[in-house]
Amino acid sequence: MNITRVFGLFAAVFAVAYTIAFEWHWELFSYHPRTGEFGWGQQPSKGGPVMHWYGAIGTGFVAALIVSAAALPFTRTRTFPLWLGWAIPLTCIVAWAWFLRNFFLR
Amino acid sequence: MVAQTTAGSMADMGAKTGGCVTTFLLIMHGLLAVALLGGLTHQAVAVLWPARQTGGFATSYRAVAAARFTNANIVFYVLTFVLGAVIYPPYRIAVRTWIERARLWHISGLFEYKEQALAIGLAMLPFFWLVWRDPKDQATSVARKWTTAILCVIVWYSFIAGHIVNNVRGLFGQ
Repeated sequence: MNITRVFGLFAAVFAVAYTIAFEWHWELFSYHPRTGEFGWGQQPSKGGPVMHWYGAIGTGFVAALIVSAAALPFTRTRTFPLWLGWAIPLTCIVAWAWFLRNFFLR
Repeated sequence: MVAQTTAGSMADMGAKTGGCVTTFLLIMHGLLAVALLGGLTHQAVAVLWPARQTGGFATSYRAVAAARFTNANIVFYVLTFVLGAVIYPPYRIAVRTWIERARLWHISGLFEYKEQALAIGLAMLPFFWLVWRDPKDQATSVARKWTTAILCVIVWYSFIAGHIVNNVRGLFGQ
């Protein structure tokens, strides 16, 4: 087993999981910057803004770690295509431009 | 009344101290971003448009040993990202709220896109390190070029977007 063989898969799974977490509100936790409180999942406002960015990164990392760890035994017999490491993140970055289009079309 | 005034003054002092720390961290964030921008641009230009020999400024710029920038760029990316994450809450309270009230949606959108792209870029760093481990390996050549180019574009976009947002409403600006 060679951990470096799943780095591309890690980047791909993170990009997809992060995007899904943000779009479908599957953030691992939320942060209330005015009160300094953390809460599991997506939290409603407590009289101030709520930040989901840290939680979405958390979801992405947990998903990427789980999938990469599960894929690790398979690296003995097969290699994952290298394009996973850049093409999937690139696709997600382009998709984000579409998701955020309303900011620029108002 | 005196107690209230004293408490108010203490709160103001606390806010000012916090504001100074945040401003200091914001400047450090900007300086680290400049270093990252320089290193990553060097590496991207060298891999996408390699020079066979050194000559003038442009060819010398392209003729660097690109692989030597890898670890430094990863460290700069992580440090810049962490500092950005630390100063994000004050931005969310003091700046973005103001931007939204002013209905400057495109400015808010610039920053939204920056945070998404940077997060995805962060997870690409282990792969970035992997494809640069052996810069002469032809099997990783395409992935090396694409990964470096993507990260370079992310960092350039984020730098410009952050600069614009800061110009519109710097932290604790009036």
